Amino acid sequence: MAPEAAPTTSPRSTTTRIRDSRSYRIFTVVNTTALLLLCAVMLYPFVMLLAQSFSSAGAISAGKVNLLPVDPNLDTYRAVANNDTFWRSYGNTVLYTLIGTSIAMVLTTTYAYVLSKKHLRGRGLLIGIAVFTMFFNGGIVPNYVLISSLGMKNTMWAVILPPALSVFNLLVMKAFFENLPTELEEAAHIDGLGWFGIFFRIVLPLSKAVIATMVLFYSVQYWNDWFAAFLYLDRTDLFPVTLYLRNLIAGASTAASEGAAASGSAVADINANIQSVTMILILVPILCVYPFVQRYFVSGVMLGSVKG
Amino acid sequence: MATAHPFPLGPTRRGFVGLTAAGLGALTLASCGTGSGSEEKVDVSTQNVGAMDEYAADMQFTATEPIQISMLWTDWPDVPVEKTWRIFEHIKELTNVELTLTHIPFSDAIEKRSLLISAGDAPTLIPLVYTGEEAAFVSSGAVVPMSDYVDRMPNFQKYVKEWDLAEMVENLRQADGKYYMTPGLQEVSVPVFSLVLRKDVFEEVAGSVPQTWEEVREALVLIKEKHPDAVPLADGFEGQSMLNYAAHAFGTKAGWGFGDGAIDGDGDDLVYAATTEQYRQLVDFFRGLVADGLLDKESFTASNDGSGAASVSEKFAAETCFAASGSSGTAIEFAQALEETVGKGNFEITLVPPPGGPAGDHVEPRNFWHGFMLSSAVTESENFLATLQFVDWLYYSPQAREMLRWGEEGTTYSKSGDGTITLEEGYSLNDFGMNKDAGEDIKIDLGYSTFPAESTESRALKESYSTPEFVQYVDDVLTTRTPRDPFPPAPLDEAELEQASLLATPIKDAVDTATLRFIMGERPMDEWDAYVAELEAAGLPQYMELLNGARARFVEANG
Repeated sequence: MAPEAAPTTSPRSTTTRIRDSRSYRIFTVVNTTALLLLCAVMLYPFVMLLAQSFSSAGAISAGKVNLLPVDPNLDTYRAVANNDTFWRSYGNTVLYTLIGTSIAMVLTTTYAYVLSKKHLRGRGLLIGIAVFTMFFNGGIVPNYVLISSLGMKNTMWAVILPPALSVFNLLVMKAFFENLPTELEEAAHIDGLGWFGIFFRIVLPLSKAVIATMVLFYSVQYWNDWFAAFLYLDRTDLFPVTLYLRNLIAGASTAASEGAAASGSAVADINANIQSVTMILILVPILCVYPFVQRYFVSGVMLGSVKG
Repeated sequence: MATAHPFPLGPTRRGFVGLTAAGLGALTLASCGTGSGSEEKVDVSTQNVGAMDEYAADMQFTATEPIQISMLWTDWPDVPVEKTWRIFEHIKELTNVELTLTHIPFSDAIEKRSLLISAGDAPTLIPLVYTGEEAAFVSSGAVVPMSDYVDRMPNFQKYVKEWDLAEMVENLRQADGKYYMTPGLQEVSVPVFSLVLRKDVFEEVAGSVPQTWEEVREALVLIKEKHPDAVPLADGFEGQSMLNYAAHAFGTKAGWGFGDGAIDGDGDDLVYAATTEQYRQLVDFFRGLVADGLLDKESFTASNDGSGAASVSEKFAAETCFAASGSSGTAIEFAQALEETVGKGNFEITLVPPPGGPAGDHVEPRNFWHGFMLSSAVTESENFLATLQFVDWLYYSPQAREMLRWGEEGTTYSKSGDGTITLEEGYSLNDFGMNKDAGEDIKIDLGYSTFPAESTESRALKESYSTPEFVQYVDDVLTTRTPRDPFPPAPLDEAELEQASLLATPIKDAVDTATLRFIMGERPMDEWDAYVAELEAAGLPQYMELLNGARARFVEANG
């Protein structure tokens, strides 16, 4: 991944402090306001969700809850925390994310590194195979039949393996490897390292930025995925928490909108506060990953590694 | 620093051709796995492992040797299924049949069911099938044509006859003359949604509960005089609910019940309901209500997802609305809202039978409830006959129905001499507010009263868990209203289905938009002919031709 051009040319970067020009100050004000507004728009749903999760069900359905909790209480958290199904699914999600991301990283880095070598014979074909799947796929039923006949149905592998190689991520990573100076590898080669040595001791340590990014992409992908689980799993004890959540939320609204057909049958009656607590609990861990990975996004790793 | 290379996206031509060929080959292989083509009726009597020789109606089915039957089970988010549920153990004790479940989440149950059936991977018993939903699976041969085997289902036969449902069952036949699902039979069926009104207010101004739409209108005028700020009538379901039950009294169909739109014409042919004079009258009637400020416009546009109903209950509480569409559950909601404002004992709220109209005191045709399909793999099983006997027992025998609803007599419930059912101490059924929070909930903890309990119901069983108000409503509807004759079936074959759905969608959209605009007074009634012309331009003649062709075929095949 090409490093983003840092805004090194801003007037502030000069050593002697000069007054910002009038137009620059206006720009800063407008810019800050716009970004703050955007930030508010993004944060509003989260804050509201948070407020709902601490409020009583009655207050939510009466439409009283906005940015602050009404009748604040921890009862809902307690109720959800005591729900075994929730924690079992939660455990599954954590497991799928950890194993899935690890496998995906191994596959993506190795495949991308190989593809980044211009002298590789059959490189075009290898890229073609990957890219082909970006544009064409068999569709849901053939995929389902495939996964079933491979014996992966109702195992965690059905959720983990099919998305373990994202072609988009692969191409980004390949481009990043292609940008690594060949001189570094040549030097390592002369010093006696083999291909694996070069890959593990030179290339990977220099690729922390892109690896961190990919780990983030993959883990978010695994964490949020419900569709694969929905397709390939029919044992509730294997369901990830996203499927549990979807049933909780979409199930409730489907029940209400199917009043015509299914009226009289048991309608899913899940209170809004339970929904929001569940959403908060699912959001928090993956939100926590961002700050840790973020520093790698601004990458200066490569600067100065080649002299002369 | 090395320069960036552009993505070498273009594979070599040879590689690409090879890949494409490989891809196509894989697709062909995959498609060979599913669908067994047309079904030959199999000789059930040879596949009789576990089956009872003398199985008959109202008899306990017990497999002669232990068998397993796989079943699709929809997981409601508020009722997590437990393997340890007593219901499964109890069924096994009674029948020697172990149910193995394939779980699908309620949120996407329909999609997952289609996927499993299309992939040829569906469990044997596919429950929760509403009439009409089976049509999509007919052509693939993935589900069993039940009509070929109902002679092995004595309970089904018995109750179809006893409850006078034979004609309705005939109407389930598809284009090939067979039916592919057996529905939940209802001894009595009444509209679930009707008018919920403030009985005390109506009695005060008009002397009684209105029996016809004209009387409704008169009463609403009187209420409006007394409460000038009120808009006394509302729907809360985008008008879909009210138009649905009103349409029957006007001799047409509309709203939720519009379906394919086809209705009996004067001759043999079907006509499109939304172009008939009766439909015009219906629209004109509601237009009049809106014009006089009697019908809440907002509730006719409010969303259908139930959130619209909430605001109607607020209006009830504020006494700005006195009648609205709803079910018996809605009546309870409104009552709760009114208790907060008006106070207990100061109001009376009930669900009343849908008012009559120009076409008479008609209500919707009798209905089936959800039933089941069998996956066609079972026709190759040595347990086929036993499976047929088991599902017949489970879905249609009165003992099984009572067990699915209430559990075990003497343990979870008891039955008095007159048939009244009461839960035993220590057991509750919170869904219906019975023995609230006393010990074990027969639904959540034991698995009874879950969706399998809903399907087939005798009147007595339905009344056993209903509120006295609902029992009264059922009685009122049955004594004062006449269900319409079933709508004439016109089953389409696979190609026609596709064509019909392409044609029907824009036509139906045009109908919905125009209906709402006419009622809201946004479009003058003298544009009715222009509206009919719009539908014709949208392909109505071709669409009706399809339906009438299918209708003629059905009549020829089934009489």
